[in-house]
Amino acid sequence: MITRSETKIKVKSFNKATLVIRMTLLVLVLVTLLGFFTFDYKGIHVFDGIVLTGQTFLTMFLEPHFSHFTFVELISKLFITIGLAILTTMLGAAISLFLALVAARNLASKTTSNIRGIIAVIRAVPTVLWVLIFAVAAGLGSVAAVIGMSFHSIGYLVKAYSESFEEMDDGVIEALKASGATWWQIVFQAVLPSSMTYLLSWTFLRFEINFTVAVAMGAAAGAGGIGYDMFMASVFYYDLREVGIITYFMLLFAILLEVFATRLKRKLRLNA
Amino acid sequence: MKALLEVRRVSKKYGNGSTALSDVSFSIQEGEFVSIIGPSGAGKSTLLRCINRMIEVSSGEVVFQNVNVTKLGKKQLKQVRRTIGMIFQHYNLVNRLSVIENVLHGRLGYKSTLAGMLGLYNEEEKKKAVEILAMLGLQDQIYKRADQLSGGQKQRVGIARALVQEPKLLLCDEPIASLDPNASKTIMDYLKTISTTLGITVLVNLHQVDVALKYSDRIIGVNKGRIIYDGVPREMTSDMIHNIYGSETGDLLFDLGGENAG
Repeated sequence: MITRSETKIKVKSFNKATLVIRMTLLVLVLVTLLGFFTFDYKGIHVFDGIVLTGQTFLTMFLEPHFSHFTFVELISKLFITIGLAILTTMLGAAISLFLALVAARNLASKTTSNIRGIIAVIRAVPTVLWVLIFAVAAGLGSVAAVIGMSFHSIGYLVKAYSESFEEMDDGVIEALKASGATWWQIVFQAVLPSSMTYLLSWTFLRFEINFTVAVAMGAAAGAGGIGYDMFMASVFYYDLREVGIITYFMLLFAILLEVFATRLKRKLRLNA
Repeated sequence: MKALLEVRRVSKKYGNGSTALSDVSFSIQEGEFVSIIGPSGAGKSTLLRCINRMIEVSSGEVVFQNVNVTKLGKKQLKQVRRTIGMIFQHYNLVNRLSVIENVLHGRLGYKSTLAGMLGLYNEEEKKKAVEILAMLGLQDQIYKRADQLSGGQKQRVGIARALVQEPKLLLCDEPIASLDPNASKTIMDYLKTISTTLGITVLVNLHQVDVALKYSDRIIGVNKGRIIYDGVPREMTSDMIHNIYGSETGDLLFDLGGENAG
């Protein structure tokens, strides 16, 4: 016989963690509400602001035109930005490959796998900050951008690569070691062939990130390229329509990149 | 006949204090087919890996072809390892490479680091690899990727990789534990052929008592890191098997059959 209890059955147990989460959410809601009541609106009405923003967007994207830059100029600037992304990705990938080999737990000795700690610190600092840090030595410009972006790419790719290496079957390494193969032979004959698809897809992902960062760096660090033109068009000339057309340029390339990435991944999966 | 391999008072303790092997001694003659049987966790795999020092022994010594393996430097150890082939339960092939590339991996120990890295094998080595593959009935699979093969075929590639090393000794760690009975028989038959026709000494870890009884010249029974039986299959008794596995009569799925019956 089933005894009916009077109280409802609780599905979730109430503990300290849920209490903390609920209190945090409550405080956040209160702070947000308080914020809206105490903002200094400087005489702008929220509704008018939204309408004006909408109008700006419409001008930007429905009436794009060239005025200070020509089509050919923008294309060449786009290639500068792509070049920056490719260069930093390749530099980062080449260095990361070797660092990841000595950082992977299944390939490295205990001392060299300490690299992971250093790499984690590099990764924790955003790319823009690294560029600005190197700008102290190299001056604002493309050199600082290349070094800073490569630096953060290394931080990212070493982690991605070394984890790909760790995914591989330890038995294969054991088998080759047992036949008297050296470490480098094992790396080139077993580790790299086994993890190549992962390496390629991580590298490509980083390239996509580096492209967007390269756009931002053009403006923020004066690295040139299409990002710098956009900065000039918006802040210097205040030409919304030109900002619009530059955005379309970048959008076009981003879509091309995405299409290519999807195809590449499908192809890799077929071979996997 | 001379002793190819001598294991003298080998013990292995792991860092956590557990003992995998204690005071194990035996010797193996050239050309012998020896099986090691025993329950899971008895130390069979550890014993096998102590021979080519994939695992370092805690005490005792392993003498292979009159060389004390336990005392060797890195370089000489590699030279010893290339004369000892190893076969694994999970085949341990590089799945994304072709059969022939996997087989040629057995030659890496003979090559310079650079030539090995780039996979530059000479014609003689390739010819040898193809010959061995044909001997194992894999002549039609040479350019297939390793992951397209069946379990039995993969294990034959594993054997080919070991044979291309031109080994004196073949260490087989549960070679048929992941295979169906048909493939198991094929693999065991090949191992037996290798032992009798090529004169290569075979040391194999097995879970299947009946297989060990059928194929081996000698059986070593291991329990809790100690050797408790070392002799010919003919003298193996049902009691002894229960002793090795620590089981009671009727608990085990095997049939001594024939001359061992009773």
